[in-house]
Amino acid sequence: MSATWDVLVIDDEPVVRDAIRLVLEEEGLRVALVPDAETALLNRALDTCRLVICDVMLPGATGIEVVRAIRARRPAVPIVLITGFATAEVAARSREAGATAFLAKPFDDTELLDLVRRVLERTDAAGEEGRS
Amino acid sequence: MRSRIGLLAIAGVAIVTAAVIGVMSVLIVGAHRGALLAQLTRGADQLSETIRSSTYWDMLENRRPALHREIVTLGRQAGIEKVRLFNATGTIMFSSDENEIGRSLDKRAEACYACHAAGRPLEKLSTRQRARIYRAADGHRVLGMIRSIDNEPACWNAACHAHSREETVLGVLDVNLSLAEADRQIAHDQRQLVLLAVLAIAASSLLLWWLSDRLVVRPVRTLIAGTRKVADGDLSTTLPAQARGELGDLARAFNAMIQRLGDAQRQLTQADKLASVGRLAAGVAHEINNPLTGILTYASFLQKRVPDRPEMAQDLEVIVRETKRCREIVRGLLDFARRSPPQHHPTDLNEVVRRGVAVVMNQLTLARVKLDFDLAPDLPAVPADANQLQQVAVNLILNAADAIGERGGTIHVRTGVVDVPPRGHTVIRTATCPKGCDLLDPAVRIGRNPALRVLRRHGEREATVHLDPVYGRVNHRASEPCEDGTLCSYACPRCRTRLDLPEVRCGTCGAPVFAVQSVGGARVEWCTRKGCHWTRWQAAESLGSQRQVELAVEDTGMGIAPEDLDHLFEPFFTTKGNRGLGLGLAVTWGIIEGHGGTVDVESESGQGTRFTVRLPLSGTREAEPAPAPAVSSAPSAPGPAPTGQAPAATPEGERGAA
Repeated sequence: MSATWDVLVIDDEPVVRDAIRLVLEEEGLRVALVPDAETALLNRALDTCRLVICDVMLPGATGIEVVRAIRARRPAVPIVLITGFATAEVAARSREAGATAFLAKPFDDTELLDLVRRVLERTDAAGEEGRS
Repeated sequence: MRSRIGLLAIAGVAIVTAAVIGVMSVLIVGAHRGALLAQLTRGADQLSETIRSSTYWDMLENRRPALHREIVTLGRQAGIEKVRLFNATGTIMFSSDENEIGRSLDKRAEACYACHAAGRPLEKLSTRQRARIYRAADGHRVLGMIRSIDNEPACWNAACHAHSREETVLGVLDVNLSLAEADRQIAHDQRQLVLLAVLAIAASSLLLWWLSDRLVVRPVRTLIAGTRKVADGDLSTTLPAQARGELGDLARAFNAMIQRLGDAQRQLTQADKLASVGRLAAGVAHEINNPLTGILTYASFLQKRVPDRPEMAQDLEVIVRETKRCREIVRGLLDFARRSPPQHHPTDLNEVVRRGVAVVMNQLTLARVKLDFDLAPDLPAVPADANQLQQVAVNLILNAADAIGERGGTIHVRTGVVDVPPRGHTVIRTATCPKGCDLLDPAVRIGRNPALRVLRRHGEREATVHLDPVYGRVNHRASEPCEDGTLCSYACPRCRTRLDLPEVRCGTCGAPVFAVQSVGGARVEWCTRKGCHWTRWQAAESLGSQRQVELAVEDTGMGIAPEDLDHLFEPFFTTKGNRGLGLGLAVTWGIIEGHGGTVDVESESGQGTRFTVRLPLSGTREAEPAPAPAVSSAPSAPGPAPTGQAPAATPEGERGAA
């Protein structure tokens, strides 16, 4: 089993996790799935992945808290927040906490892929210094 | 129920009036009585003098019967009680009351008292001292006036020698006048005064009652009734405020207060309603958007993986489309929940710009950015929310400054009035097929507005085409390519009714046209020949150009790459790296759309960028074509929307007029 992952997906909704994996694996990305923040912080994928996709409303913690926790470990990894409740306030706070981009649920495969590609291209171009 | 205020006021006035009139009555009656008595006393004195003079000779010549007759006659005169004559020893020598004659009076009798009170008789008395008042046997008052008959040479020299020279007073004449008539007069006057006082008290009380009722009690009662109604929750209460003075002011203040209270309550209710809708929307959005994500992602994923099974691809397209419809519904609910409508007032755009510049001046100076103004001096006021417009001005200027970066440069800020033609600017916001199916597809947006979905056929081939919703612009998108010059036919994608109008011909190439129904059944027509960009919207054209005010912010910065232009107004889209949030232009676009205006952007890499904001002078026209933003691909609302919402179909035609 490979020790590296490209994308870590944190969402408590199985159908959302599976849908994201379906689309991203088709793109050739290796995707790790976890249902909550606690599991995410214990998962080794967090230390190696090139991208984190995280739900804003998670059991036990808000996505914004998760973003802060991840930022503490991986200062430069891009984090995309996904939410079914996209308000300007949530968007602004997640941006403040250090999220890279924001995707409103529901999205289709094209929207998800476009965003993931763009984020990865940008980090690749910037040279990912935060990978540990 | 009489109010306490009225009662107290009336009682107070009645007591004061009674006291004043009472004191006045006592003084007046006293003075009147004094004057009457003085007059009677003078009369009595004169009468006694007259009697003494007329009886002088009878006394001197000692003609007693004549004297007696005279006194009796006098005593019978009206008002005269009695007349009598005493000798020096107090014996009544003559009297009109014959029973008294010969009787001796003690020195202490009321008639004698004036002189004999001090023991030794007085010989000279003043008129007042000589007068006395006493009550007769039947109780009525009598004024007595005594007059001494003094000894004089004629008396002691007379032949009768009745009096010696040594005597001083020979006798006393006592005239008694009845005061009954005067007392009646005084009593009558007193009664009249009392009656007057009662009348005055009653009249002033009545007047006061009327005044207090009109000026105080009724307005106060109305006020109390109004207050009670308000307390019962009726905020539509208003008081008649025609009264002048303080109570009128109070009523007006009350009305103003209730109005403000009502406004506040309505706002609260509205806010409450919105908050409830917001909570509901948030819950619904969260619950529904997760399953929708699953459906949408799986369906759109599968759709592209069944190219060999077109029926299945078509069925999946239905799932994708309808799921996107659900997404729009939920998004609309959220938008509605957090929308605060702009407060439109006539606004001077130049003033807004100046205030905006004042806010950011320090930042610009630090960044070595110069500002260059070209503000139209006679700019008409535009109906707008000045605060929101200022936010737009600040956003655009800060963006321009960021684009200029460290190198320094100039920002040109220009305002003016322009005439905007419908072609290339007016958005088709209503589109139906002849049977009434809605052709607008909120899931596909071209230039940030829902596109018009139609079915295109030529031969056996069928494709979904999304028409650019901006009239005159041709950023159409089709699910399948089609060769230019092909004559196609068009139909409603739902009921498949034909949209072609064979009798109407294209103004450019003469091919048949197809049309959709817009507001009021007005037709919007396009040429059916692929590649021919002829289009006509008679209703919009007939409205003519619209006068708009324009704010252009142009920088000499690095410009925007063409591929970025499409994402410029998306939330979180930023070319500024970590410096920007990527919300500024999304907010700007939302504000300007809320004003029925447009934001255009023109940019050339390395040369600079110009943002042009246009606002209609007449405000948004209800149910009529409204101007459209001219940059393609954008979110549905000022709030955040998904990034990377790329068209599901290939662009067709040419880039629009932006």
